[in-house]
Amino acid sequence: MKLSSISLRAVLLDWGFVLVLCAIFVFFSLATSHFLEFGNMIAMLHTMASVVIISCGMAMVVMTGNLDISLGSIAFLSSSIGVLLMTRLGWNPVAAFSVTLLCGIVFGMLNGFIVVVLGINPLITTLGTMITLRGIGLELTQASVIPLPEGVRVLGNLAIGPIFVDILVMAAILVAVHVLHRRTSFGRQINAIGNGAEVAARIGLPVGRLVFLDFVLAGFLASIGGIVALLQVGSLSAYLGAGLEFTAVAVVVVGGVSLFGGRGSIIPGVLLGALTFQLIVNGLTQMSANPYVYKLITGLVIFLAMYVDALKVGRIHAPPAAEAVEDEPA
Amino acid sequence: MRKSIIGLLTAAVAVACVTAPAAAKDFTIGLSWNAYDSILVHKWEDYLKAQGSEQGKAAGIDIKWVINVANADPTRQAANIEDLINQGVDLIMARADDGAAIGSSIKAAEAAGIPFITFDRASSTQKPTAHVGGDSYDQGKTTAEAMVALMKEKGVHAKCIELEGSLTDENAVFRHNAWHEVTDKSGVIETVAEVPTEWNPELFRSGTANALRAHPEANCMFLASDFCWSAVQSPLEAAGRYAKTGDPKHIWIATQDVFPDAAKAMQDGYIDVGTTYDAFYHAKEAIRVAILIAQKKPLDCGPHGCLAKGRLATQANINTLENLWSLPTK
Repeated sequence: MKLSSISLRAVLLDWGFVLVLCAIFVFFSLATSHFLEFGNMIAMLHTMASVVIISCGMAMVVMTGNLDISLGSIAFLSSSIGVLLMTRLGWNPVAAFSVTLLCGIVFGMLNGFIVVVLGINPLITTLGTMITLRGIGLELTQASVIPLPEGVRVLGNLAIGPIFVDILVMAAILVAVHVLHRRTSFGRQINAIGNGAEVAARIGLPVGRLVFLDFVLAGFLASIGGIVALLQVGSLSAYLGAGLEFTAVAVVVVGGVSLFGGRGSIIPGVLLGALTFQLIVNGLTQMSANPYVYKLITGLVIFLAMYVDALKVGRIHAPPAAEAVEDEPA
Repeated sequence: MRKSIIGLLTAAVAVACVTAPAAAKDFTIGLSWNAYDSILVHKWEDYLKAQGSEQGKAAGIDIKWVINVANADPTRQAANIEDLINQGVDLIMARADDGAAIGSSIKAAEAAGIPFITFDRASSTQKPTAHVGGDSYDQGKTTAEAMVALMKEKGVHAKCIELEGSLTDENAVFRHNAWHEVTDKSGVIETVAEVPTEWNPELFRSGTANALRAHPEANCMFLASDFCWSAVQSPLEAAGRYAKTGDPKHIWIATQDVFPDAAKAMQDGYIDVGTTYDAFYHAKEAIRVAILIAQKKPLDCGPHGCLAKGRLATQANINTLENLWSLPTK
């Protein structure tokens, strides 16, 4: 009896959000006519692409126990530079987007430098760069809507058969970051840092260098996510990437990556986290729900995920009955 | 002798004062833009200067301008307005970046005895001397009535997807209310989905894509604004529904504002009706109100401020509308 109680709690903590995801999926499938269609699934993956890509970078940073809330601004500024090179200086799109990617790397290096070399708290650092980089982007673009050249704009809907190309890009990045996390020493060392940076340093891990590279990776992925979002919308606006850092944090947390570091996965974690939010938004649209309901439900999901995360790492205590069961020997 | 000379000089000066035309009174307007976030703002500025010159001359007032831009930063806008107060301008006109934050600037101007006009965006926290803007309710109503008439003429029962603006923006709420008040009982237009966009182009795109999936029977759209037309065009293209009027795949589109890309789409036959957000008439009204304030005359505005109505634009008349800012200059 006690054993089964312990197991149930463990199962709920570890797989609870997958069960919730399944429940959401089943609910919308039954409640609406077109939710379950193949085309709708593709549309959801298409919409998710930029968020998933940026969330991969966020997850890698969070796994070290750090946070990077400048990713939306990196996406905005690096995309802005690319768009301005194309529209004002007439650059070739390939060259312009290469500069965008380079900018993402440079901004990631900036974050890494401030955090690792100057020793400033990552939250404060990336809060500063979030504001500064967006400010530079707004200054450069005059906060205006800049349509992409027609030949570039159509790339947002580029597809191979029924599959949009950005879905394939998203899948490739998911797999690559998953392999990096799970199959390389870099990934294992990232987790080790998340479980305790001091201990990791004592056993000889180059903590500073790894954290620096992690920020660079996140910046690079943010610039890719920015390009994907830009192409989908077809124009650059001051809204690009706005709030995306917080969406990425929510995706990561709902996907089971611990905000306290050292635990989580890219596949299935980040993928399922992003899917949860997309299912909710898509399902509510399918149901023609009241527009005010969207934020309420999204907020509740984030709160639940953070609560579960805190329970897992023991930052808060479970209800007394469950706690008593857990404390007794099996 | 000396007294005679002084007397003659005094008489000469008095005669000169009586016979010379009265010098125009200087009146300096401090104009605070939140951002040069679209060509609309540049057009507003051009029209304001031109109207200031024209109406000012007729009223015997020489209107001068001090202009600053906050690049979408409410804090910077507050500092910019503080600068205008310190420079001792005669009137402040501001397009708020944040309808709540502008309240403290209005208070500061009031304390310094400087009248304050909110332009385009009203303050939600403090009543200014006057508010000048577009009549958003009338805009929504005009468009809705034109769409109802068009659907009746074409014998179409329209099932519409509504892309709403920010739910905290009164312009968006007025447009939404007007659309429903006219169409809900029209018998020819049924709104099948209301999609919240928060004025975010990415949500315009994903919302349109989701709604088209949810309601494949939809044959009509109402846009709360077309400032990011490409974000609507892209999912329509992806769904194979981007077609001109007369094509069986055509989606009937009613829009608000008629920004340059949308004006082009209307000229090309993709958008059916819209009501202009009329920069020229906004500027004309703002200068009329500024002159009344300069002359210390009572303002004759409605309960929601001094509002300029937009003009109905259709595929038939778009090329003949005078002073339409969004069309290329002839």
